[in-house]
Amino acid sequence: MRGAPRLRRGGPNVGGLGAISGPHVIDVVDGAVGAARAVQQALGDAGTVVATVICGDNYAAEHADRAAAELVAVVAAARPDLVIAGPAFLAGRYGVACGALCAAVQAQLKIPAVTGMHAENPGVELYRRQVYVVPTGSEATRMLDEVKRLVALGLKLARGEAIGAPAAEGYFARGVTRNVVVEAAAADRAVAMLLDKLAGRPVASEVPRPAFPRVPAPRLIKTLEGATIALVTDGGLVPRGNPDGIEALNATRYGAYSIEGKTGLDAAQYDNPHRGYDTTWVKQDPNRLVPVDVARELEQSGAIGKLHETVYSTVGVATTLAHSARMGQEIAEKLRAAGVDAVILTST
Amino acid sequence: MRLELRWCDVEELTAASATRLAGRRLEVDLDALRALLSSDARLTRIRLDLVHPDERCRIGRVFDVIAPRAKVDGGEDFPGVLGRVARAGHGRTLALSGVAVVATDQQTENVGILAVIDMAGPNAVLSAFGRTHNVVISAWPASGVDRSDYLAAVRLAALKTSVYLAQTARDAKPDRVEVFELPPSPRVPVELAHLPRVAYVFQIHSHQRPTGLDEGILYGDPVRRMLPTIVHPNEVLDGAVLRGFMGRSVTTWATQNHPMIRALYAQHGRTLWFAGVVVTVAHATEPERVRSAFLTAGLVAHTLGADGAVLTKIGGGAPHVDMAQAAAQCEALGVRTTAVVEDMSTDGSAEGMLLFDFPGVDALVNVGSSQEPITLPAMDRVVGADDLAPKLLGETRTTYGGLCGAIEQIGATRVMAEVR
Repeated sequence: MRGAPRLRRGGPNVGGLGAISGPHVIDVVDGAVGAARAVQQALGDAGTVVATVICGDNYAAEHADRAAAELVAVVAAARPDLVIAGPAFLAGRYGVACGALCAAVQAQLKIPAVTGMHAENPGVELYRRQVYVVPTGSEATRMLDEVKRLVALGLKLARGEAIGAPAAEGYFARGVTRNVVVEAAAADRAVAMLLDKLAGRPVASEVPRPAFPRVPAPRLIKTLEGATIALVTDGGLVPRGNPDGIEALNATRYGAYSIEGKTGLDAAQYDNPHRGYDTTWVKQDPNRLVPVDVARELEQSGAIGKLHETVYSTVGVATTLAHSARMGQEIAEKLRAAGVDAVILTST
Repeated sequence: MRLELRWCDVEELTAASATRLAGRRLEVDLDALRALLSSDARLTRIRLDLVHPDERCRIGRVFDVIAPRAKVDGGEDFPGVLGRVARAGHGRTLALSGVAVVATDQQTENVGILAVIDMAGPNAVLSAFGRTHNVVISAWPASGVDRSDYLAAVRLAALKTSVYLAQTARDAKPDRVEVFELPPSPRVPVELAHLPRVAYVFQIHSHQRPTGLDEGILYGDPVRRMLPTIVHPNEVLDGAVLRGFMGRSVTTWATQNHPMIRALYAQHGRTLWFAGVVVTVAHATEPERVRSAFLTAGLVAHTLGADGAVLTKIGGGAPHVDMAQAAAQCEALGVRTTAVVEDMSTDGSAEGMLLFDFPGVDALVNVGSSQEPITLPAMDRVVGADDLAPKLLGETRTTYGGLCGAIEQIGATRVMAEVR
């Protein structure tokens, strides 16, 4: 059995979760059993393990939604102040189950949760953004030491204490940012960092490099004369009144606007809420942003097969990567379903 | 070139019947100052308020902050904007510490672009201006005065006030004299020739919005279509560079006390050789951006002969990429770089902190997230924003970017976004 405790009421009450291999469903035991005994030992007088929940990791992996719902119900009944799941070490399905449970308990019951696992456990990448995951070894050779670290972080969470940086507190970076006040002004840090870089000393950049996924441009398999072309923009074109309520910055919405029967965009019918650039000239003539006028001429002359009758538009300023990717995917799916072969994307 | 900043410390600021510096007490004849500022026909009503550290006071509608400075020996004050166009950066300049001039914007209805300053409570320590005595200028536009003319008038009023206050130190014995002296860049004494040569690339404006005709930024020039150019760091410290009219998380005050130039001066001759300053602007179109980036790198690498460069930006996302492109061009020429960025994420995710990923541009310092919310506690008095007083008196919310002086993009501040 691999243990995974969850804990309850910060002062005295603690609960635990364990998992076993096999088809086992869910079992609740009063007090601490298995790895939860290490949790109780680590807690000492600081808390009490009130229940240990045992769940088959095959079950949790294969029926993730149902298992999570059942686990949440069990935890709710035990009314803990903190849930500790794991450590899962390098056991992948168990790690994923621990992460899922902690995330669900936090979101649905507003009970803090912490788990622990090895850096290569897939549960880390899946859940570190939502859940505090403490790094552990690959197997349970130093169980008590590692559980002590989980418990120390868990108690801080249960007491509502401020949680410091990942390196100081011992958890996988959650990938969220928080403003803090540091000792030296940014200018002094920049000069010191440059001197390190020039001397070939190690440099600790304060910003992680982004992992922007490369999206290769697909080849156009038709000639332009036979292709349907769509116009898409992140420059903020909206019909007057902004019927979709597209935000002036940090947009989460986009609009689909018909250009059927139009040989160009009439300035009187359009507006532009974009706050990232001077919109004077595109308000004066929206074709400067979305070239419907020229595209119609190309359609008429036969240079392109057809102009798609819907323009998609959003505001691209301070938009989050997550919303950009989602909106892009949704627009791309609609364009593909409509038989569009190529897109002219105008940005600002 | 040699510049002396002759500092007088101000510990008290009071209204009086004559303007003078009495020891560490600055006495201001508010009527005389108001009369001086009223000569500008673009402004109608002018109100002056004095606020002090530890006072439960919030300044609203903050537009820019200016440090009190005045040239002696016949130099020009803020040349090209207030004084006539002439070289800045040499001779003697009077400077008051402990006091600042705060210009407010009484025109815009879009108050989201303006900032606040808290004089007490937890936010006062986050900003340099929560710890200074402040002369707050509220001026209203004369009828028919457009936005750009109004802001030019407001800024000019703040510059006049800056000089008016600093001139009180003319006959005072300075508390300390700060000397900035840098020889022409190639003249390195042989015993210091081993030091790495470091340049500073200072983005002084972003053309996300075109500048107004009266929006003097470099010696009064509105830097439209400006190509990168080299200036002496003393010129920046001595009033040659002012902030434009759009500028969250940047103040003219920070430029007058430029933290990067000071940091480089502090190391000059010890761990590095300060090779010079390249001023640039961020552009709105790709060809301009690319041109500016490689011209900048050329000046840094080929003209200044720098081994390393540190870069800062102004404005938002486009300038952030602009700066990174210049850094990438420097790296391509073998110049090692560090750059100061804001955390650009709008959802607090580490993935969103940067809007670029260029080879070699891997040593980054950050000045925090201007989007992160911050709580403003209740105050007893609101200055500079009568119309917003009901909201600004009580506990309310803003962001780090909305608290003037909490984040200075040129690196004066200690807020940092930590990845957790």
